[in-house]
Amino acid sequence: MTIATDIRESLRIAFDALRANKARGVLTTLGIIIGIVAVVLTMTAANGLRNRFRESFSAVGTDVLYVSRMPWVVMDDFFLYRNRPNIELREARTLERKLRGKAIVNPTINGNRDLLYRTETMSGVDVIGTTDKQTRMSSAQPQSGRFLMAFDVLYKRHVCVIGTDVKDGLFGTVDPVNKRLQIGRTRFRVIGVMEKQGGSFLGGPNFDRQVFIPITSFVRVFGGDHGRTDVMVAVKAPTQEAMEDLEYTLIGEMRKIRALRPAERDNFSVNKLDTLVGSFNSVMGVVLLVGLLVTGISLFVGAVGVMNIMFVSVTERTREIGIRKAIGATRRSILLQFLLEASAIGLFGGLVGIVLAAILTAVINAVLMPASVSVPIVVLAVAVSISVGVLAGVVPAYRAARMDPIEALRYE
Amino acid sequence: MMPASREISLSLKEVVKTYVMGTDVVHALNGVSLDLARNEYVAIMGPSGSGKSTLMNVIGCLDVPTSGTYHLEGQMVARMSESQLAELRNRRIGFVFQTFNLIARATILQNVELPLVYGGVGRSERRSRAVSALEKVGLADRMKHKPNELSGGQRQRVAIARALIFNPSIILADEPTGNLDTKTGDDIMAILDGLHAAGQTIILVTHELYIAEHAQRTIRLRDGVIESDMAA
Ligand SMILES: Nc1ncnc2c1ncn2[C@@H]1O[C@H](COP(=O)(O)OP(=O)(O)OP(=O)(O)O)[C@@H](O)[C@H]1O
Ligand SMILES: [Mg+2]
Repeated sequence: MTIATDIRESLRIAFDALRANKARGVLTTLGIIIGIVAVVLTMTAANGLRNRFRESFSAVGTDVLYVSRMPWVVMDDFFLYRNRPNIELREARTLERKLRGKAIVNPTINGNRDLLYRTETMSGVDVIGTTDKQTRMSSAQPQSGRFLMAFDVLYKRHVCVIGTDVKDGLFGTVDPVNKRLQIGRTRFRVIGVMEKQGGSFLGGPNFDRQVFIPITSFVRVFGGDHGRTDVMVAVKAPTQEAMEDLEYTLIGEMRKIRALRPAERDNFSVNKLDTLVGSFNSVMGVVLLVGLLVTGISLFVGAVGVMNIMFVSVTERTREIGIRKAIGATRRSILLQFLLEASAIGLFGGLVGIVLAAILTAVINAVLMPASVSVPIVVLAVAVSISVGVLAGVVPAYRAARMDPIEALRYE
Repeated sequence: MMPASREISLSLKEVVKTYVMGTDVVHALNGVSLDLARNEYVAIMGPSGSGKSTLMNVIGCLDVPTSGTYHLEGQMVARMSESQLAELRNRRIGFVFQTFNLIARATILQNVELPLVYGGVGRSERRSRAVSALEKVGLADRMKHKPNELSGGQRQRVAIARALIFNPSIILADEPTGNLDTKTGDDIMAILDGLHAAGQTIILVTHELYIAEHAQRTIRLRDGVIESDMAA
C-alpha cells in the first residue's frame, strides 16, 4: 500500500481513537500544553523585548560614539572608575576642534530638574544642555516649532525644546510653542516639541521625557563648568564604516587632551549603541534560557505522558492489532498508525497550548508591553508539539508493530 | 467424491509446529501433509488441543511452520518475510473467527473496507466494493452501525463480508458457529455453502458433526497428526 493512503488512513484511525478517549487525551497533553505555552510566551517575550529595545533606542544613532566619564555598562568593578575626572566642556571644545572635518561633535550635559507650567508640575525631568548639532546625531526631529540653533547656544538664550511626554504632562492639549515654562527656578521659552520616541525600555532612559536647552545656558543657569558637571560628548562618524577608525582617533585625541602617559589607562570611556545591545543580549539570553528550561521540562513531562498513554492504548488494543494483522496490515502500517496517533495527541496539545498562549499574550499586550504571537512562532510550536508526540510514540508504536498476530488475537 | 478440478490450491508436506514452554516442548502439529484443490470444502475436526487452530494459522500465513513446507497457490510460504506474509493474508486469505473479531470502534462499512485499505485500494472503489460485499450477506442497510449494535449472526455475516472482499483463494473459518445458536449457525452455514457453490475454497474447523456434514471432505486431527481424511 502506498505511503499516502497509509498516512491518510492512519490519521483517520488516530483521530477516531482520540475522540473515543477525550478526557484521557486532555490529561495526557497537559505537559505538552504547558510546554507549548512556555515556548510561545518565551519567543513572544523575546520578540517583544527586541522590538521595544529597538524602538526605545532608535533615537540613539548606531554611528555615534559617546565619550563619557563612566562606561554605560559596567561589567567589572565600579570602583575602578570612581576616581576618574569629569569630562569638562573645555575638553569637549578641544576635541571638537581636533576632529573638525572628521566628525560632528556635540557636547551635552544632563541634569534632573523639576518643571513648572502655571499649576502643572513634573519632577525629575531629564534636562539636557546641548547644541544645534543634537538633531544631526540621531533620527529624532522636532514635530512642531524648531530645534535649537547655533545662535541660541552662542547667546545662551533661555529657550527649550521638549519631548512629547513633557508636552502631554505640562500642557495637555495646549500648544506649548512660545509658552514659558520654569526649569528649576528659571523660565525658558518653548520653541519646539520633539517627535515621539517610544518610551522607556525596562527602566532605561525615556527619550520622550526630556527637555533640551542650549548647553551654554545650562552651564550659566545651573552652574557646572570646571569639573563640577560632567559632559558627555557625542561624536558622529561620517559613515558606519568610519566608526572603527574614528574610535581610535577619538581615544588618541582624548588621551592627548588628558596628557596620559602610555602606561596609564584611559580615564574616560567611549560608548556606542553596540555596548547597550551587548547588555541587552545578555538580558535576552537569560529570558531565553529560563523560557527554554521551562519549555524543555514541560515537554519532557508531556512526552512521558504521551508515551504512557500510548503504551496503555497499544495494550488495550492488542486484539485490534491482531485483527488488523490477520487481514493484512503490515508492521509498517501498524507502526505508522500509532506514530500518527501519538503525533495527533501532540498536535492536539500544541493547538490548545497555542490558543492559551495567544490569550495570555493578549493580556500581556494589554498590561505589560506590546506583544503578539507571530506566524513563525506558531509554526515552530506546531512542529515542536508534533515532534514530541512522534518521539514519545516511537517505542509504543514499535511494540505494537512487532506483536505476534496469533498472540494478539488470543489476547482477552 | 472428487472435486471437479484437481488444480492444487495449497499443499503442506510434513509440517511440524513446535512450541517450547520452558522445559516443555509441545508438538502442536507433528508432521501434517495435506493437499487441497481449488473449490474444495473441507471440515477439520478433532478434540481440543489437537492442533486444529494451529493448522489454520499456518494455512492462513499467520504463523510459519517449525519444519516442513507449505505452498499456497505455488508460492513457498515457509521462508517469507513478515511483509510478504501480510500481503498474502491481505490478498489470498479470508479469516472468519469464532469471536467475529470486528473492530468495535469502526462502523460495519469501515470494518469491511479495512482489507482494501491495507491493500491500497482507492477510497471510492473501496466504498463500492464494501457495499456490494455487505449486500451479498444481506446487511447493506446496517452499514453505518457499530458491531455492538448487531446480533451475533449479523456480526459473523459482517466478518464473512470482510473475508470475501479481496476474492481470496481460501476462506478459513475457525469454529464460525461456535458462538451462535443452532438456527443462526445454520444461516451462517447457508452463506458458506452458497460461497462454495459459487467456486470458493473453504476450510472450516468445527466440533459439531452436523456442521461438518456441510463440507465435502472431513479431516480428523489428533495430537498434531492427521488421523483420518475422508470424502463425505
Ligand atoms: N502459543 C502457544 N504456546 C504454547 N503452546 C501452544 C500455543 N498455541 C497452541 N499451543 C498448544 O498447541 C496445541 C494445539 O493447540 P490448538 O489451539 O491448535 O488446538 P485446537 O485443536 O484448536 O483446540 P480447540 O479445539 O480447543 O480450539 C495445544 O496443546 C496448545 O496448548
Ligand atoms: Mg482452536
